Amino acid sequence: MRHAFDIGGTETEVWLSRDGAGYRLHGDAGEARIGLAAGRLDVDGVGEPVLVVLDGETIHVHLGGANYVLRHKDPARRFADEDDGGAGDAARAPMPGTVVRIDVAVGQPVALGDPLLVIESMKLETTIRAWHGGTVAALHVAPGQSFDRDALLVTLSAGGG
Amino acid sequence: MRRIVSGLDTRSAEFLENRAHNRRLAAELKATQEKARRVRPQRDLDRLARQGKMFVRDRIEALLDPGTPFLELSTLAAGLAYDGEVPGASIVSGIGIVSGREVIIHADDASVKGGAWYPLSVKKIVRTLDIAIENCLPVVHLCDSAGGFLPLQAGVFGDRYLAGRIFRNQAILSKMGIPQVAIVLGHCTAGGAYVPALSEYNVIVKGTGAIFLGGPPLVKAATGEENTVDELGGADVHTRISGVADYPASNEKHAIAIAREIVGTFPKRAKAAIDWAAPEPPAYDPDELYGIIPRDIKVQFDMREVIARIVDGSRFHEYQPAYGTTLVCGFAHLWGCPIGILANNGVLFNDSALKGAHFMQLCDQKRIPIVFLQNITGYMIGRDYEHRGITKDGAKMIMAVAGLEVPKITVMVNGSFGAGNYGMSGRAFDPRFLFMWPQSQIAVMGAEQASNVLAEIKVRQLARQGETLDAAGIAAIREPILEEYRRQSSAYYSTSELWDDGILDPVDTRNALAVTLSAALNAPGGDPHYGVFRM
Repeated sequence: MRHAFDIGGTETEVWLSRDGAGYRLHGDAGEARIGLAAGRLDVDGVGEPVLVVLDGETIHVHLGGANYVLRHKDPARRFADEDDGGAGDAARAPMPGTVVRIDVAVGQPVALGDPLLVIESMKLETTIRAWHGGTVAALHVAPGQSFDRDALLVTLSAGGG
Repeated sequence: MRRIVSGLDTRSAEFLENRAHNRRLAAELKATQEKARRVRPQRDLDRLARQGKMFVRDRIEALLDPGTPFLELSTLAAGLAYDGEVPGASIVSGIGIVSGREVIIHADDASVKGGAWYPLSVKKIVRTLDIAIENCLPVVHLCDSAGGFLPLQAGVFGDRYLAGRIFRNQAILSKMGIPQVAIVLGHCTAGGAYVPALSEYNVIVKGTGAIFLGGPPLVKAATGEENTVDELGGADVHTRISGVADYPASNEKHAIAIAREIVGTFPKRAKAAIDWAAPEPPAYDPDELYGIIPRDIKVQFDMREVIARIVDGSRFHEYQPAYGTTLVCGFAHLWGCPIGILANNGVLFNDSALKGAHFMQLCDQKRIPIVFLQNITGYMIGRDYEHRGITKDGAKMIMAVAGLEVPKITVMVNGSFGAGNYGMSGRAFDPRFLFMWPQSQIAVMGAEQASNVLAEIKVRQLARQGETLDAAGIAAIREPILEEYRRQSSAYYSTSELWDDGILDPVDTRNALAVTLSAALNAPGGDPHYGVFRM
């Protein structure tokens, strides 16, 4: 599987292969012999100073007097995102219980981690939070209502907040 | 170690004719492999596209680390079976690198009969898992099979090495602590359901992946219960309710990305401690191999010329160079890995058999893997040799080869006839890997000798009934026997029946040996010990 980087909003796929003691970088644009050591980037034998700072999946590169920000796209997240949203994008009851409170309305934009509703089960209150940013697409329960395990509680759709 | 001095005249007519002939055979091999890999009826490709499935080759490419070697095994399995309608036996198998780990891949090819398991498909999967067990290789299963091919169920089910052996091998791997990941990319029905279930990790694709012991039609027939595929055994059912599957995936690429992450968590196994040297290409061009192999299998050639075009720097330390000269033995390096080589330079006599048995024990003691280069017509026959005990000397060689603890890899360079096949580590002696060259032949005896014997028996039978045959009559009996015998002795027949792990273009031998030696070094074998040598 190739590595994917977000470079200035464009997704670029590249991969490395061994070339003797060094490496060769391949991409749709072609290939080059590369080396990265002691603050120098070598491309096909031409070297120049480079400064690279890693911050999680974000990579800051200072090269040739300019700054670049690259983002490494984690492959599992990258491909999972494609199919997000839709009817399957719902929270289900982890166990039988009753609805204590609903904190949102249909159509309301929500951010990752926002409380959506509170349920009570086995003398324990649980807050169901937004598992991604988006819009509340549907509420399948009302306050005070009891439900069985695996019942649909709330559906989100992508977009919005 | 000295460089082998080649005696090859690369400008001779013989060399040039051989080269043209063998290059043509290599080109035929490439074309046949390419067809088995990629050419499918349009309706099967349309069906895959309709189901939103990737072609098996694209799945494997996405799974592997880009720019790393992948050695496909048994590409032409079932090539001469089932009227040629089941290329690759509907299975792709091979050794590659995933997340920096050496793994072996078993992938169902849903573009061939919906990935149905034919008898040879089962043989190929069992062989793949045998390789995993023998070489301690983690396995990635890409599951997408319609299940056993019912019209041939008797050939897939009941016996020891049939479908049950797949699951037995999976359980043994797990017991050995060698992990497996299954990616469920299509239906895993009945026996096929156990492939993901018996893997330590499995990933299932929403929508297209499903696992069940009985599919919806079978359930309806049995109990009247009606189910959709998803209700019965889809990704949600198995990752949320049943616990049969571990990770749900949105699509195939997502599933492959998760599987790569899982393989990335496997500890890297320490390989056998050996004295690696700096790798070096052969001093003689491997392309000259094409000019060495004679067009006629009966023509003798010096196997040192082959060794010189396979090993590092063409350097070879020959052991007992003046004794038992029809078996060439010695030490070399291949991509930096020290190896012992046994190579045939003619029929095995008493002295060559003794030398071979002795040399194998040397390698075992030094913990050096052995490469066998076969071009063998058998052990010498006749009164002198029987009186000198050719049978017990051959038995010593067989005792040694069967008892070896170090990994052994066999290449059928040209002929593999009779008991010579045994002494030189044929399939029955569990070489870790065994490859054929395109023109090589394997049979209990040569095609012409065998068809003469069979024709002679027939002529005598007719003579007893008072019939006599003229030359044309004898030829009419002999020719079909010869033709069938030739077909069954060919490398293509051997590989179709999975008597080997694939046919190699001779110039690829060096790299194939490197990948397989590397895999073999995951399991170096125990301390040397043997049975009783008949002295």
